Amino acid sequence: MKALLAYQTELLVRSQRWLPPLLLYVAFLGLGIQSGGPLLDALGYAAAALLPVTAWLVRICVGGEAAAARHCTAAAAGPWRVHLASVLTALLAACVLGAVATLYAVAVSDPHSSEGHVGVPVPQAAGAGLLAVIACALLGTAVGALCNRPVLSSTGLAVPSGMLAALLVLVAGGSPANAAVSGLVTGSHTGTVIMPWVPAVLSLAVAAAATAFACRQASRRS
Amino acid sequence: MKLAGVGRRYGLRKHWVLRGVDLSLPERSLVRVQGVNGSGKSTLLRLIAGIDAPSAGRISGRPPSAYVPERFPAAMPLTALGYLTHMGRVHGLRRDAAAGEAREWLERFGADAYARTPLAELSKGSSQKVVVAQALLARPRLLVLDEAWTGLDQNARTVLDRSVAERVAEGGTVVFVDHDPARLAGSPDVTYRVEGAAVREVAEHVPPGHGGVPATGPRVRIEAEGPPGVALPPELPGSPRTEQTSDGATVLTAPAPYSDALLRGLLAGHWHIRSVAVEEIPR
Repeated sequence: MKALLAYQTELLVRSQRWLPPLLLYVAFLGLGIQSGGPLLDALGYAAAALLPVTAWLVRICVGGEAAAARHCTAAAAGPWRVHLASVLTALLAACVLGAVATLYAVAVSDPHSSEGHVGVPVPQAAGAGLLAVIACALLGTAVGALCNRPVLSSTGLAVPSGMLAALLVLVAGGSPANAAVSGLVTGSHTGTVIMPWVPAVLSLAVAAAATAFACRQASRRS
Repeated sequence: MKLAGVGRRYGLRKHWVLRGVDLSLPERSLVRVQGVNGSGKSTLLRLIAGIDAPSAGRISGRPPSAYVPERFPAAMPLTALGYLTHMGRVHGLRRDAAAGEAREWLERFGADAYARTPLAELSKGSSQKVVVAQALLARPRLLVLDEAWTGLDQNARTVLDRSVAERVAEGGTVVFVDHDPARLAGSPDVTYRVEGAAVREVAEHVPPGHGGVPATGPRVRIEAEGPPGVALPPELPGSPRTEQTSDGATVLTAPAPYSDALLRGLLAGHWHIRSVAVEEIPR
Protein backbone atom coordinates (compact mmCIF):
# COMPACT_ATOMS: atom_id res chain seq x y z
CA MET A 1 0.00 0.00 0.00
CA LYS A 2 2.92 2.36 0.75
CA ALA A 3 4.31 1.77 -2.74
CA LEU A 4 0.90 2.41 -4.31
CA LEU A 5 0.45 5.62 -2.31
CA ALA A 6 3.89 6.86 -3.37
CA TYR A 7 3.06 6.05 -7.00
CA GLN A 8 -0.36 7.72 -6.90
CA THR A 9 1.02 10.77 -5.10
CA GLU A 10 3.73 11.26 -7.70
CA LEU A 11 1.15 10.85 -10.47
CA LEU A 12 -1.06 13.48 -8.84
CA VAL A 13 1.73 15.96 -8.12
CA ARG A 14 3.36 15.67 -11.54
CA SER A 15 0.09 15.75 -13.48
CA GLN A 16 -0.52 19.35 -12.31
CA ARG A 17 -4.21 18.52 -12.49
CA TRP A 18 -4.44 19.51 -8.81
CA LEU A 19 -4.04 23.13 -9.88
CA PRO A 20 -7.70 23.90 -10.81
CA PRO A 21 -9.19 22.53 -7.55
CA LEU A 22 -6.43 24.30 -5.59
CA LEU A 23 -7.23 27.60 -7.31
CA LEU A 24 -10.94 27.04 -6.66
CA TYR A 25 -10.22 26.50 -2.97
CA VAL A 26 -7.99 29.57 -2.79
CA ALA A 27 -10.75 31.60 -4.46
CA PHE A 28 -13.33 30.24 -1.97
CA LEU A 29 -11.08 31.17 0.94
CA GLY A 30 -10.27 34.58 -0.51
CA LEU A 31 -13.96 35.37 -0.83
CA GLY A 32 -15.13 33.86 2.44
CA ILE A 33 -12.40 34.64 4.96
CA GLN A 34 -11.88 38.28 5.74
CA SER A 35 -8.93 39.53 7.67
CA GLY A 36 -10.09 40.33 11.22
CA GLY A 37 -13.39 38.42 10.82
CA PRO A 38 -14.71 36.08 13.52
CA LEU A 39 -12.42 33.01 13.81
CA LEU A 40 -15.08 30.30 14.09
CA ASP A 41 -16.93 31.57 10.99
CA ALA A 42 -13.68 31.47 9.03
CA LEU A 43 -12.94 27.92 10.21
CA GLY A 44 -16.44 26.77 9.24
CA TYR A 45 -16.00 28.34 5.82
CA ALA A 46 -12.60 26.69 5.27
CA ALA A 47 -14.11 23.29 6.12
CA ALA A 48 -17.26 23.67 4.01
CA ALA A 49 -15.36 24.80 0.91
CA LEU A 50 -13.06 21.78 1.19
CA LEU A 51 -15.88 19.29 0.53
CA PRO A 52 -16.41 19.89 -3.22
CA VAL A 53 -12.65 20.41 -3.65
CA THR A 54 -12.02 16.95 -2.14
CA ALA A 55 -14.60 15.36 -4.43
CA TRP A 56 -12.76 16.92 -7.38
CA LEU A 57 -9.38 15.66 -6.13
CA VAL A 58 -10.82 12.13 -5.90
CA ARG A 59 -11.98 12.43 -9.50
CA ILE A 60 -8.45 13.43 -10.54
CA CYS A 61 -6.79 10.62 -8.58
CA VAL A 62 -9.05 7.74 -9.66
CA GLY A 63 -8.49 8.77 -13.27
CA GLY A 64 -4.78 9.47 -12.91
CA GLU A 65 -3.64 6.20 -14.42
CA ALA A 66 -4.25 5.27 -18.04
CA ALA A 67 -6.47 2.16 -18.32
CA ALA A 68 -3.64 -0.05 -19.62
CA ALA A 69 -1.36 1.04 -16.77
CA ARG A 70 -4.17 0.48 -14.27
CA HIS A 71 -4.51 -3.11 -15.48
CA CYS A 72 -0.80 -3.70 -14.86
CA THR A 73 -0.98 -2.24 -11.35
CA ALA A 74 -4.16 -4.21 -10.64
CA ALA A 75 -2.48 -7.49 -11.62
CA ALA A 76 0.42 -6.69 -9.29
CA ALA A 77 -1.50 -5.43 -6.25
CA GLY A 78 -5.18 -6.29 -6.74
CA PRO A 79 -7.75 -3.90 -8.27
CA TRP A 80 -9.35 -2.87 -4.97
CA ARG A 81 -6.01 -1.96 -3.41
CA VAL A 82 -5.13 0.15 -6.44
CA HIS A 83 -8.45 1.96 -6.19
CA LEU A 84 -8.14 2.42 -2.43
CA ALA A 85 -4.69 3.95 -2.89
CA SER A 86 -5.98 6.49 -5.41
CA VAL A 87 -8.89 7.49 -3.13
CA LEU A 88 -6.60 7.74 -0.09
CA THR A 89 -4.14 9.90 -2.04
CA ALA A 90 -6.93 12.38 -2.76
CA LEU A 91 -8.05 12.33 0.89
CA LEU A 92 -4.52 12.97 2.12
CA ALA A 93 -4.05 15.83 -0.35
CA ALA A 94 -7.37 17.32 0.81
CA CYS A 95 -6.32 17.04 4.46
CA VAL A 96 -3.10 18.91 3.70
CA LEU A 97 -5.08 21.67 1.96
CA GLY A 98 -7.54 21.80 4.87
CA ALA A 99 -4.79 22.00 7.47
CA VAL A 100 -3.10 24.87 5.63
CA ALA A 101 -6.47 26.64 5.30
CA THR A 102 -7.10 26.20 9.03
CA LEU A 103 -3.72 27.75 9.82
CA TYR A 104 -4.53 30.61 7.47
CA ALA A 105 -7.91 31.17 9.13
CA VAL A 106 -6.30 31.20 12.57
CA ALA A 107 -3.62 33.62 11.39
CA VAL A 108 -5.87 36.23 9.80
CA SER A 109 -9.09 35.99 11.84
CA ASP A 110 -10.02 37.68 15.07
CA PRO A 111 -10.52 35.18 17.95
CA HIS A 112 -13.81 36.72 19.07
CA SER A 113 -17.49 35.82 18.70
CA SER A 114 -19.48 37.34 15.84
CA GLU A 115 -21.97 39.01 18.21
CA GLY A 116 -20.82 40.89 21.28
CA HIS A 117 -17.13 40.61 22.02
CA VAL A 118 -16.64 37.22 23.69
CA GLY A 119 -13.12 35.82 23.37
CA VAL A 120 -12.69 32.46 21.65
CA PRO A 121 -9.89 30.14 22.90
CA VAL A 122 -7.62 29.76 19.85
CA PRO A 123 -6.23 26.20 20.44
CA GLN A 124 -9.71 24.74 20.99
CA ALA A 125 -11.07 26.65 18.01
CA ALA A 126 -8.24 25.42 15.80
CA GLY A 127 -8.87 21.85 17.01
CA ALA A 128 -12.58 22.12 16.23
CA GLY A 129 -11.71 23.63 12.84
CA LEU A 130 -9.38 20.73 12.02
CA LEU A 131 -12.03 18.18 13.01
CA ALA A 132 -14.56 19.94 10.78
CA VAL A 133 -12.00 19.97 7.95
CA ILE A 134 -11.49 16.23 8.39
CA ALA A 135 -15.25 15.60 8.45
CA CYS A 136 -15.71 17.59 5.24
CA ALA A 137 -12.71 15.96 3.52
CA LEU A 138 -14.10 12.52 4.43
CA LEU A 139 -17.54 13.31 3.07
CA GLY A 140 -16.01 14.85 -0.05
CA THR A 141 -14.10 11.58 -0.44
CA ALA A 142 -17.35 9.62 -0.12
CA VAL A 143 -18.99 11.79 -2.80
CA GLY A 144 -15.94 11.47 -5.04
CA ALA A 145 -15.76 7.69 -4.59
CA LEU A 146 -19.45 7.18 -5.43
CA CYS A 147 -19.70 9.69 -8.29
CA ASN A 148 -16.69 8.56 -10.34
CA ARG A 149 -15.12 5.52 -11.97
CA PRO A 150 -15.74 2.63 -11.43
CA VAL A 151 -19.21 3.38 -9.97
CA LEU A 152 -20.14 6.07 -12.52
CA SER A 153 -17.85 5.84 -15.51
CA SER A 154 -19.41 8.30 -17.96
CA THR A 155 -18.14 11.86 -17.52
CA GLY A 156 -21.56 13.25 -18.48
CA LEU A 157 -23.06 11.48 -15.49
CA ALA A 158 -20.15 11.67 -13.06
CA VAL A 159 -19.47 15.42 -13.08
CA PRO A 160 -23.02 16.78 -12.61
CA SER A 161 -23.93 14.09 -10.07
CA GLY A 162 -20.72 14.76 -8.16
CA MET A 163 -21.39 18.49 -8.03
CA LEU A 164 -25.00 17.97 -7.01
CA ALA A 165 -24.06 15.41 -4.35
CA ALA A 166 -21.37 17.70 -2.89
CA LEU A 167 -23.88 20.55 -2.66
CA LEU A 168 -26.56 18.33 -1.11
CA VAL A 169 -24.16 16.91 1.47
CA LEU A 170 -23.21 20.47 2.48
CA VAL A 171 -26.76 21.83 2.87
CA ALA A 172 -28.83 18.77 3.89
CA GLY A 173 -29.92 18.94 7.52
CA GLY A 174 -28.87 15.47 8.61
CA SER A 175 -25.44 15.52 6.98
CA PRO A 176 -22.40 15.31 9.29
CA ALA A 177 -20.60 17.93 7.16
CA ASN A 178 -23.49 20.32 7.65
CA ALA A 179 -23.53 19.53 11.39
CA ALA A 180 -19.78 20.16 11.74
CA VAL A 181 -19.86 23.44 9.84
CA SER A 182 -23.03 24.80 11.43
CA GLY A 183 -21.69 23.80 14.85
CA LEU A 184 -18.76 26.16 14.26
CA VAL A 185 -20.92 28.93 12.78
CA THR A 186 -23.63 28.89 15.49
CA GLY A 187 -20.95 28.64 18.16
CA SER A 188 -19.45 31.77 16.65
CA HIS A 189 -22.50 33.82 17.71
CA THR A 190 -21.80 33.30 21.37
CA GLY A 191 -18.12 32.46 21.20
CA THR A 192 -18.53 28.82 22.28
CA VAL A 193 -16.35 26.16 20.65
CA ILE A 194 -18.22 22.93 19.88
CA MET A 195 -15.91 20.01 19.07
CA PRO A 196 -17.51 18.18 16.11
CA TRP A 197 -16.55 14.70 17.33
CA VAL A 198 -19.81 13.03 16.34
CA PRO A 199 -19.88 14.49 12.80
CA ALA A 200 -16.23 13.46 12.30
CA VAL A 201 -16.90 9.87 13.38
CA LEU A 202 -20.07 9.68 11.24
CA SER A 203 -18.18 11.07 8.24
CA LEU A 204 -15.48 8.47 8.72
CA ALA A 205 -18.10 5.70 8.67
CA VAL A 206 -19.77 7.11 5.54
CA ALA A 207 -16.44 7.57 3.74
CA ALA A 208 -15.31 4.05 4.66
CA ALA A 209 -18.56 2.52 3.40
CA ALA A 210 -18.55 4.52 0.16
CA THR A 211 -14.88 3.77 -0.54
CA ALA A 212 -15.34 0.08 0.24
CA PHE A 213 -18.24 -0.05 -2.22
CA ALA A 214 -16.19 1.70 -4.94
CA CYS A 215 -13.18 -0.57 -4.34
CA ARG A 216 -15.40 -3.64 -4.64
CA GLN A 217 -16.60 -2.36 -8.00
CA ALA A 218 -13.03 -1.86 -9.21
CA SER A 219 -12.68 -5.48 -10.30
CA ARG A 220 -16.25 -5.77 -11.55
CA ARG A 221 -16.40 -2.97 -14.09
CA SER A 222 -13.19 -2.44 -15.93
CA MET B 1 -3.86 -21.93 -9.50
CA LYS B 2 -7.39 -23.07 -10.37
CA LEU B 3 -10.46 -21.67 -12.10
CA ALA B 4 -13.65 -23.49 -11.11
CA GLY B 5 -16.90 -22.88 -13.00
CA VAL B 6 -15.74 -19.38 -13.88
CA GLY B 7 -18.05 -17.16 -15.92
CA ARG B 8 -17.92 -13.51 -16.87
CA ARG B 9 -20.51 -11.17 -18.29
CA TYR B 10 -20.44 -7.39 -18.37
CA GLY B 11 -23.91 -6.71 -16.96
CA LEU B 12 -26.82 -8.77 -15.67
CA ARG B 13 -28.73 -8.76 -18.95
CA LYS B 14 -25.67 -9.14 -21.16
CA HIS B 15 -24.54 -12.41 -22.71
CA TRP B 16 -21.87 -14.52 -21.08
CA VAL B 17 -18.44 -13.84 -22.57
CA LEU B 18 -17.15 -16.90 -20.76
CA ARG B 19 -19.13 -19.55 -18.95
CA GLY B 20 -18.35 -22.66 -16.93
CA VAL B 21 -14.57 -22.44 -17.36
CA ASP B 22 -12.62 -25.03 -15.38
CA LEU B 23 -8.89 -24.65 -15.72
CA SER B 24 -5.89 -25.70 -13.77
CA LEU B 25 -2.73 -23.67 -14.32
CA PRO B 26 0.10 -25.61 -12.69
CA GLU B 27 3.46 -24.22 -11.68
CA ARG B 28 6.34 -24.57 -14.12
CA SER B 29 4.11 -24.39 -17.19
CA LEU B 30 3.72 -22.37 -20.35
CA VAL B 31 0.11 -22.01 -21.43
CA ARG B 32 -1.04 -20.71 -24.80
CA VAL B 33 -4.56 -19.34 -25.29
CA GLN B 34 -6.03 -19.16 -28.79
CA GLY B 35 -9.26 -17.95 -30.28
CA VAL B 36 -10.63 -15.63 -32.93
CA ASN B 37 -10.99 -11.87 -32.29
CA GLY B 38 -13.69 -11.12 -29.77
CA SER B 39 -13.90 -14.72 -28.53
CA GLY B 40 -13.09 -13.74 -24.95
CA LYS B 41 -9.34 -14.43 -24.87
CA SER B 42 -8.55 -11.08 -23.30
CA THR B 43 -11.36 -11.48 -20.78
CA LEU B 44 -9.95 -14.87 -19.78
CA LEU B 45 -6.47 -13.37 -19.42
CA ARG B 46 -7.77 -10.49 -17.29
CA LEU B 47 -9.59 -12.96 -15.04
CA ILE B 48 -6.42 -15.04 -14.68
CA ALA B 49 -4.35 -11.92 -13.90
CA GLY B 50 -6.86 -10.86 -11.25
CA ILE B 51 -7.69 -7.56 -12.93
CA ASP B 52 -11.28 -8.65 -13.42
CA ALA B 53 -13.45 -10.59 -10.98
CA PRO B 54 -15.53 -13.50 -12.30
CA SER B 55 -19.33 -13.03 -12.34
CA ALA B 56 -19.69 -16.73 -11.47
CA GLY B 57 -17.43 -19.43 -10.09
CA ARG B 58 -14.18 -18.89 -8.29
CA ILE B 59 -10.47 -18.52 -8.88
CA SER B 60 -8.11 -19.78 -6.19
CA GLY B 61 -4.40 -19.91 -5.52
CA ARG B 62 -3.27 -16.98 -7.63
CA PRO B 63 0.42 -16.27 -7.00
CA PRO B 64 1.96 -12.76 -7.29
CA SER B 65 1.12 -11.76 -10.84
CA ALA B 66 2.17 -9.43 -13.62
CA TYR B 67 0.27 -8.47 -16.74
CA VAL B 68 1.24 -7.03 -20.12
CA PRO B 69 -1.48 -5.48 -22.29
CA GLU B 70 -1.29 -5.36 -26.06
CA ARG B 71 -0.98 -1.58 -26.15
CA PHE B 72 0.37 0.77 -23.53
CA PRO B 73 -0.68 4.29 -24.51
CA ALA B 74 0.17 5.59 -21.06
CA ALA B 75 0.14 9.37 -21.18
CA MET B 76 1.32 9.61 -17.59
CA PRO B 77 3.61 12.30 -16.21
CA LEU B 78 6.42 9.91 -15.26
CA THR B 79 9.69 9.00 -16.95
CA ALA B 80 10.22 5.41 -18.11
CA LEU B 81 12.66 4.81 -15.25
CA GLY B 82 10.40 6.52 -12.70
CA TYR B 83 7.42 4.43 -13.76
CA LEU B 84 9.40 1.18 -13.68
CA THR B 85 10.85 1.97 -10.24
CA HIS B 86 7.36 2.63 -8.88
CA MET B 87 6.06 -0.57 -10.45
CA GLY B 88 8.97 -2.53 -9.01
CA ARG B 89 7.95 -1.32 -5.58
CA VAL B 90 4.28 -2.12 -6.25
CA HIS B 91 5.45 -5.63 -7.22
CA GLY B 92 7.06 -5.86 -3.78
CA LEU B 93 10.71 -4.97 -4.42
CA ARG B 94 12.63 -2.64 -2.11
CA ARG B 95 13.31 0.83 -3.41
CA ASP B 96 16.97 0.33 -4.40
CA ALA B 97 16.29 -3.12 -5.85
CA ALA B 98 13.39 -1.69 -7.87
CA ALA B 99 15.54 1.09 -9.32
CA GLY B 100 18.35 -1.38 -10.13
CA GLU B 101 16.05 -3.87 -11.85
CA ALA B 102 14.34 -1.06 -13.76
CA ARG B 103 17.67 0.13 -15.20
CA GLU B 104 18.77 -3.42 -15.97
CA TRP B 105 15.58 -4.32 -17.86
CA LEU B 106 15.62 -1.11 -19.89
CA GLU B 107 19.16 -2.00 -20.88
CA ARG B 108 18.22 -5.57 -21.76
CA PHE B 109 15.52 -4.26 -24.11
CA GLY B 110 17.91 -1.71 -25.60
CA ALA B 111 15.80 1.13 -24.23
CA ASP B 112 18.23 2.60 -21.69
CA ALA B 113 18.49 5.74 -23.85
CA TYR B 114 14.83 6.41 -22.99
CA ALA B 115 15.20 6.03 -19.21
CA ARG B 116 14.66 9.74 -18.61
CA THR B 117 12.06 10.20 -21.35
CA PRO B 118 8.51 10.91 -20.18
CA LEU B 119 6.16 7.99 -20.96
CA ALA B 120 3.95 10.25 -23.06
CA GLU B 121 6.82 10.95 -25.47
CA LEU B 122 7.80 7.32 -26.08
CA SER B 123 7.15 5.62 -29.43
CA LYS B 124 4.71 2.69 -29.53
CA GLY B 125 7.55 0.16 -29.55
CA SER B 126 9.45 1.82 -26.71
CA SER B 127 6.39 2.08 -24.48
CA GLN B 128 5.69 -1.60 -25.16
CA LYS B 129 9.23 -2.37 -23.95
CA VAL B 130 8.52 -0.39 -20.78
CA VAL B 131 5.32 -2.30 -20.03
CA VAL B 132 7.01 -5.65 -20.70
CA ALA B 133 9.90 -4.64 -18.40
CA GLN B 134 7.33 -3.68 -15.76
CA ALA B 135 5.99 -7.23 -15.79
CA LEU B 136 9.36 -8.99 -15.76
CA LEU B 137 11.38 -6.96 -13.28
CA ALA B 138 9.98 -8.57 -10.14
CA ARG B 139 10.19 -12.17 -11.46
CA PRO B 140 6.44 -12.85 -10.99
CA ARG B 141 5.20 -16.38 -10.31
CA LEU B 142 2.37 -15.76 -12.76
CA LEU B 143 2.96 -13.83 -15.97
CA VAL B 144 0.01 -13.00 -18.22
CA LEU B 145 0.84 -11.71 -21.71
CA ASP B 146 -1.93 -10.37 -23.94
CA GLU B 147 -0.20 -10.04 -27.34
CA ALA B 148 2.77 -8.57 -25.51
CA TRP B 149 5.06 -9.02 -28.54
CA THR B 150 3.06 -6.59 -30.70
CA GLY B 151 5.18 -3.57 -31.57
CA LEU B 152 8.45 -4.94 -30.15
CA ASP B 153 11.55 -5.05 -32.35
CA GLN B 154 13.32 -8.33 -33.12
CA ASN B 155 15.82 -8.05 -30.26
CA ALA B 156 13.11 -7.28 -27.72
CA ARG B 157 10.98 -10.20 -28.97
CA THR B 158 13.88 -12.59 -28.47
CA VAL B 159 14.53 -11.16 -24.98
CA LEU B 160 10.85 -11.66 -24.14
CA ASP B 161 10.85 -15.24 -25.53
CA ARG B 162 13.83 -16.12 -23.33
CA SER B 163 12.39 -14.34 -20.31
CA VAL B 164 9.21 -16.38 -20.69
CA ALA B 165 11.30 -19.56 -20.76
CA GLU B 166 13.22 -18.34 -17.70
CA ARG B 167 10.01 -17.65 -15.75
CA VAL B 168 8.80 -21.20 -16.50
CA ALA B 169 12.23 -22.69 -15.71
CA GLU B 170 12.15 -20.96 -12.31
CA GLY B 171 8.83 -22.61 -11.51
CA GLY B 172 6.45 -19.92 -12.68
CA THR B 173 3.34 -20.04 -14.83
CA VAL B 174 3.16 -18.04 -18.05
CA VAL B 175 -0.14 -17.60 -19.91
CA PHE B 176 -0.01 -15.92 -23.31
CA VAL B 177 -2.05 -14.94 -26.32
CA ASP B 178 -0.39 -14.02 -29.59
CA HIS B 179 -1.73 -13.66 -33.10
CA ASP B 180 1.42 -15.22 -34.57
CA PRO B 181 0.94 -19.00 -34.51
CA ALA B 182 4.73 -19.47 -34.60
CA ARG B 183 5.21 -17.54 -31.34
CA LEU B 184 7.11 -19.80 -28.91
CA ALA B 185 6.19 -22.68 -31.22
CA GLY B 186 6.82 -26.06 -29.67
CA SER B 187 7.31 -24.57 -26.21
CA PRO B 188 3.77 -24.43 -24.68
CA ASP B 189 2.97 -27.27 -22.33
CA VAL B 190 -0.72 -26.87 -23.08
CA THR B 191 -2.82 -24.86 -25.53
CA TYR B 192 -6.39 -23.79 -24.85
CA ARG B 193 -8.90 -22.47 -27.33
CA VAL B 194 -11.64 -20.00 -26.38
CA GLU B 195 -14.74 -20.60 -28.48
CA GLY B 196 -18.44 -20.03 -27.87
CA ALA B 197 -17.87 -18.77 -24.30
CA ALA B 198 -16.13 -22.06 -23.43
CA VAL B 199 -12.49 -23.01 -23.09
CA ARG B 200 -11.24 -26.35 -24.33
CA GLU B 201 -7.82 -27.90 -24.54
CA VAL B 202 -6.31 -28.17 -28.02
CA ALA B 203 -4.92 -31.66 -28.66
CA GLU B 204 -1.18 -31.92 -28.34
CA HIS B 205 1.09 -32.33 -31.36
CA VAL B 206 -1.21 -30.92 -33.98
CA PRO B 207 0.35 -31.66 -37.36
CA PRO B 208 2.07 -28.59 -38.81
CA GLY B 209 -0.35 -26.37 -40.65
CA HIS B 210 -3.40 -27.68 -38.78
CA GLY B 211 -5.31 -25.86 -36.08
CA GLY B 212 -2.87 -22.98 -36.28
CA VAL B 213 -0.44 -24.52 -33.79
CA PRO B 214 2.89 -25.54 -35.23
CA ALA B 215 3.97 -28.61 -33.29
CA THR B 216 7.56 -27.49 -33.32
CA GLY B 217 9.62 -24.40 -33.74
CA PRO B 218 13.36 -23.82 -33.66
CA ARG B 219 15.01 -26.19 -31.22
CA VAL B 220 18.32 -26.21 -29.42
CA ARG B 221 20.42 -29.35 -29.46
CA ILE B 222 22.88 -29.70 -26.60
CA GLU B 223 25.44 -32.46 -26.38
CA ALA B 224 26.47 -32.87 -22.76
CA GLU B 225 28.45 -35.26 -20.65
CA GLY B 226 27.68 -35.94 -16.98
CA PRO B 227 29.96 -36.89 -14.14
CA PRO B 228 30.39 -40.70 -14.10
CA GLY B 229 27.30 -42.48 -12.79
CA VAL B 230 25.29 -39.28 -12.32
CA ALA B 231 21.81 -39.06 -13.80
CA LEU B 232 20.45 -35.93 -15.52
CA PRO B 233 19.29 -33.22 -13.10
CA PRO B 234 15.53 -33.59 -12.58
CA GLU B 235 12.99 -31.11 -13.99
CA LEU B 236 15.29 -29.59 -16.59
CA PRO B 237 13.88 -26.43 -18.22
CA GLY B 238 12.05 -27.01 -21.48
CA SER B 239 11.40 -30.72 -20.77
CA PRO B 240 14.17 -31.76 -23.19
CA ARG B 241 14.03 -34.96 -25.22
CA THR B 242 17.15 -36.98 -24.43
CA GLU B 243 19.18 -39.53 -26.37
CA GLN B 244 22.38 -41.39 -25.50
CA THR B 245 25.20 -41.41 -27.98
CA SER B 246 27.54 -44.37 -28.39
CA ASP B 247 30.45 -42.47 -26.80
CA GLY B 248 28.66 -41.83 -23.52
CA ALA B 249 27.33 -38.35 -24.15
CA THR B 250 23.71 -37.26 -23.82
CA VAL B 251 21.98 -35.23 -26.52
CA LEU B 252 19.19 -32.97 -25.24
CA THR B 253 16.73 -31.28 -27.57
CA ALA B 254 14.39 -28.54 -26.33
CA PRO B 255 12.55 -25.48 -27.71
CA ALA B 256 15.11 -22.79 -28.55
CA PRO B 257 13.85 -20.14 -26.05
CA TYR B 258 14.80 -22.56 -23.28
CA SER B 259 18.44 -22.84 -24.40
CA ASP B 260 19.93 -20.51 -21.76
CA ALA B 261 17.81 -21.92 -18.95
CA LEU B 262 18.59 -25.50 -19.98
CA LEU B 263 22.33 -24.82 -20.16
CA ARG B 264 22.20 -23.18 -16.75
CA GLY B 265 20.40 -26.25 -15.36
CA LEU B 266 23.00 -28.62 -16.80
CA LEU B 267 25.97 -26.55 -15.63
CA ALA B 268 24.47 -26.29 -12.15
CA GLY B 269 24.41 -30.09 -12.07
CA HIS B 270 28.14 -30.12 -12.97
CA TRP B 271 27.53 -31.41 -16.47
CA HIS B 272 30.06 -30.72 -19.17
CA ILE B 273 28.76 -29.13 -22.39
CA ARG B 274 30.29 -30.54 -25.55
CA SER B 275 28.35 -28.60 -28.15
CA VAL B 276 25.33 -26.40 -28.64
CA ALA B 277 23.50 -26.02 -31.95
CA VAL B 278 20.16 -24.64 -33.07
CA GLU B 279 18.01 -26.84 -35.28
CA GLU B 280 15.54 -25.04 -37.51
CA ILE B 281 12.70 -27.45 -38.22
CA PRO B 282 10.74 -26.60 -41.35
CA ARG B 283 7.09 -25.94 -40.63
